[in-house]
Amino acid sequence: MSYLNETTMLALATVIFAAAGLLHFTQKYSSSIRLYMLQSCAISVLLIASAFDRLTPLLVVAITATITVKVLIAPYFFFGLIKRHELKFSVSAYLNTPVTLVAIAALLLLTRSDLFSSLAGLAAVDEKLLRLAFATILISLFLSINRRGALSQVLGILSLENGIVAFALFAGLEESPGFQLGITFNILILVVIATVFASMIFRKFGSLDVSTMKKLKD
Amino acid sequence: MTQTIFWIIQILLIPVLSPFFIGATRRIKARLQNRAGASSFQPYRDIWKLLHKDEVISEDASWLFRAAPYLIFATTLVIGASIPLMSTALVNSYTGDFLVVVYLLALGTFLLALAGIDTGGAFGGFGSSREMLVAALTEGGLVLSLLTVALISGTTNLMAIPQSIGSVPFSESLPVILAFIGFSIAMLAETCRYPFDNPSTHLELTMIHEAMILEYSGKRLALIEWSSANKYLIFITLGANLFFPRGMADSLELAPVALALAVFLIKVGILCVAVALLESSIAKLRIFRLPDLLFTSFVISAVAVGLVG
Amino acid sequence: MDYFTSPSVFYAILAVFAAGATGALAFRHHDRAANILGNSLAAAGSLAGLLFSGAVLLEGDVPAFGAGSSFSLLSITFRLDQLSAFFMMVICLIALLCSIYALGYVRHYYGRYSVGMLGFFYNLFIASMILVATSHNLLFFLIAWEVMSLASYFLVIYERRESASIRAGSLYFIMTHAGTAFIVFAFLLMYQATGSLDFEAVAQGMAGASPLVRNAIFISALVGFGVKAGIIPLHIWLPSAHPAAPSHVSALMSGVMIKTGIYMLVRISLEILPGPFLWWGLVLLVIGGASSLLGVLYALSEHDLKRLLAYHSIENIGIILLGLGGAIVFSSAGMNSLAALSLAAALFHTLNHATFKALLFLGAGSVIAATHTRNIEKYGGLIKLMPQTALFFLIGSMAISALPPLNGFFSEWLTFQALFQGVISLDVTTKTVFILAVGALAFTSGLAAACFVKAFGITFLARPRSEAVSRASETGIFPRLAMAGLSIAIICLGLFSGAVVRLLSGVGGSLANIGGAEAADAAGFESVSVQNGFASISMPAVFIGIGLAAIAITAVVFLLTRRRQTVIGRTWDCGADLTPRMEITATGFSRSIITVCRRVLRPSSETEIEYHDANRYFPKIGEVTMGLHDVYRTYIYRPLQDLLTLLAGYTTKVQSGNINAYILYIFITLIALLFLLDLTT
Repeated sequence: MSYLNETTMLALATVIFAAAGLLHFTQKYSSSIRLYMLQSCAISVLLIASAFDRLTPLLVVAITATITVKVLIAPYFFFGLIKRHELKFSVSAYLNTPVTLVAIAALLLLTRSDLFSSLAGLAAVDEKLLRLAFATILISLFLSINRRGALSQVLGILSLENGIVAFALFAGLEESPGFQLGITFNILILVVIATVFASMIFRKFGSLDVSTMKKLKD
Repeated sequence: MTQTIFWIIQILLIPVLSPFFIGATRRIKARLQNRAGASSFQPYRDIWKLLHKDEVISEDASWLFRAAPYLIFATTLVIGASIPLMSTALVNSYTGDFLVVVYLLALGTFLLALAGIDTGGAFGGFGSSREMLVAALTEGGLVLSLLTVALISGTTNLMAIPQSIGSVPFSESLPVILAFIGFSIAMLAETCRYPFDNPSTHLELTMIHEAMILEYSGKRLALIEWSSANKYLIFITLGANLFFPRGMADSLELAPVALALAVFLIKVGILCVAVALLESSIAKLRIFRLPDLLFTSFVISAVAVGLVG
Repeated sequence: MDYFTSPSVFYAILAVFAAGATGALAFRHHDRAANILGNSLAAAGSLAGLLFSGAVLLEGDVPAFGAGSSFSLLSITFRLDQLSAFFMMVICLIALLCSIYALGYVRHYYGRYSVGMLGFFYNLFIASMILVATSHNLLFFLIAWEVMSLASYFLVIYERRESASIRAGSLYFIMTHAGTAFIVFAFLLMYQATGSLDFEAVAQGMAGASPLVRNAIFISALVGFGVKAGIIPLHIWLPSAHPAAPSHVSALMSGVMIKTGIYMLVRISLEILPGPFLWWGLVLLVIGGASSLLGVLYALSEHDLKRLLAYHSIENIGIILLGLGGAIVFSSAGMNSLAALSLAAALFHTLNHATFKALLFLGAGSVIAATHTRNIEKYGGLIKLMPQTALFFLIGSMAISALPPLNGFFSEWLTFQALFQGVISLDVTTKTVFILAVGALAFTSGLAAACFVKAFGITFLARPRSEAVSRASETGIFPRLAMAGLSIAIICLGLFSGAVVRLLSGVGGSLANIGGAEAADAAGFESVSVQNGFASISMPAVFIGIGLAAIAITAVVFLLTRRRQTVIGRTWDCGADLTPRMEITATGFSRSIITVCRRVLRPSSETEIEYHDANRYFPKIGEVTMGLHDVYRTYIYRPLQDLLTLLAGYTTKVQSGNINAYILYIFITLIALLFLLDLTT
């Protein structure tokens, strides 16, 4: 992490966090996907910066793979999904906008509180960064809970993934290359499965809105 | 040498004397009914007569039917060698345990019940059913009453019990008396006397023991009748010598043993009179009232055991 | 001799069973080859196991071997102390004879069901039972226990086209796993108290455990192993599962598998838990007495030969528990020699029951296979059609009714003696329990005799009651050989009871809580005497006495009547034709006893009459169904089942089908963990 100074890291962390927060308020699927691309770019920069002083071939491969998947392939899949099924953005969330804002604020407060102090002890760098990363995690999870569209939920999980990577990087856990490869592999599989499932569900039920599928659980 | 002679007497006494006491009981009952009654030696003549008759065996019967009388008689002989008759100096630690005696009797009952079913007649089956009902429920009272005297004397060997019972003072003899009451109910059940069974009935509806042996004839019937007489005398002997053991010899000399035999005959005679009186004064109970009587025997014996020591 | 008890022999035995299992499976398309391979290898393994455990018992050494594994808690260790060797011997003896029986019996399954699968599960079953008896690590024991339950489950549902078998299997599966849950709980408590899962380490560590923990372990072990052993009221699976399996498997299940529950109860209460409490023994005495009485009463009302035998297993487990309960009571009072006596009685009865129950099941299997019906009311006259089977069944019946001079009588005698000692030496309240136990035992043996008069008499004696039965024929050579082997074992165990008691004293004495006390003196003419001559008996003397007396009286009568003739005639038929309807029926035979005990048994009687006319004056067909109300299902199991269904209904609300809800659960858990983390640091 030595190539980046404090401010840059803080900026990148803020970008990641903001992307996750803004995902709550998008009106179109395409903007969600673009926000995700932005977040992935930020994560990639962080990854490259952290690995810069320890370049091994494996690490290079891992980082390249991560960047490719997160920034290029995944969004490509999603855009293709939207075009193929002509997805329209349907009824958005369980909680309306003000209440969502309140919830996000509550989660932020939670991360700033003393509750988090034990985890914050892990920080290799500034404590603020760790808290931001953790906030990203919580907010992405909340996105999955709050949104009804299956694609939004998938994006929420992916953003959660990014948040975890950021958390690990800030906590100084990036030593092993297996860590990178693991995440990449994870994402690849997740995306493929998500696409396949979404196609199947759409073919069967005609929509990706989760609430209409509820009645069919029995 | 004297041991051998006394053992021979011990083994042979029961089979030799039992028909007489059956006859005596019948005679007393007849007298109570204002009849002259047959001679007390009539059962001997009956056995002799049966031994001299040809036998008819059902075509449905199997080897069990043919072998059962011999085995049942053999069990009564073995029991006869294990019970206290005349002297406490005779010791049988091999088969003298009271549980051996009780279960040998059960063996006899088992074989007889099977023989009753074997011929496939209408009567043998239900005779066996009733017999097993009564026998199953009698075990409890019988075992517990014998246990009482065993606990008092500190041994379960039947031949060694009378020695200690004789020295129990009257004030502490309540357990013995209660055990005797329980034992006598069990005795009436096992020997097929009133109120459990009528030994001289001709109505199949009222038969238990007689129904099982209905198909027997000739020598096998003689053996069966003789075995039931043996059983009767065995129970009377147990009642006399276990619960009222005074008069038994404590050595193996001729004079005391002869005296003991005489006392034994008198005691058995008294008990036979008692049985005859009882039979003449009560009616046979309906079969579903018998279990109550048997459970009473069990409870009395259990109380007796609880009172010991 | 030393070689016999080496670990390699033990592993070789397991390998033989493995070979039998895989061989049977490999040849599953060739029925005959699978049968011969599976069963003869099982027999060979059992024979080797018998010699192995016999050598261990006689030599008195304690082979302990095994290895650890990659999990720190699981170590695959075996330790054959005297108790394990004894149970292994029982298992192998019965397995040997059942395998020989199976060589002939399995022929009935050719072409109908897969003989290869039968061989596979059968070998697996025996091997797992041996592992249960010899394992030394709690986790390994659980694995072996589970394998045993699963193998027996597949054997129970072997005849899978019968819906009754499937139902029986499901009930068995549920009950045995409910029991296993309790066992796991007991083991977890042991681990928590001592930090280890090896028997020896646990036994040493339990000395410091609190009474509450010990009581909890005992109760859960009692329930868990009691389900397998079949004590009342946990027995409801036994009467349907044991008859559903093939006969040689029923014999193994009834004779041996339920004893593995007893094995562990003995080990837990007398070795692993130091210093047993008095009330444990009293509870076992009460349960034993109740099981024995109720078992035999239910058996009396059964008309399926195998169900009848299954209920008798429950009865005999009750008798074994009487012995075990007495041992615990004596041990808690410090009277070690009496405890050894009581335990020897329980162990002897275990061995005896295994032999005669196996013999009876094998006999019943032959009868059912020959007559193609299980209903006792259709049997009759089989003693002339199947003479050897009848003879062996008679020996088994006499043994189970505790008639001298067979082995059943001796183990009941020994149990009685142990109970008598309890009546003598204990205080008033305990004494009352012992007196009631004596009464229960006495009644049980009487009722068992009644039941077997019915079972043997109706099945084998008199005339056949149906067409199919009159065409039955004797079974093949292998079943008869196996039954003959068991009969010889029964007679020998009866004759040489003195030697066996001496052996069992050593087995009992080796347990920690009994500490080497002597149960009984066996001296002189094979006579056994208890407690300085309070009671003594000599089984050979009884045997010889009866034999000599029988010979003597036969000779005398023969001499007196040698000129008499014997004429074969017809049974007295009152002038009518002799039909099978004239013979006693099984229902009629036992109904009187059932009526006497009606408050306990709750007999039911349903009558259905079809009439010719509308006014119901002229009956056409009448049908009476007599049975017993199933008390346990109505009052215990159905309410439990309803409660569980109710609770399950509430929890389905959690499973809403909505993905958002599920992720919400994850979220809440995460927050909660954060709180927890903060609280603990």
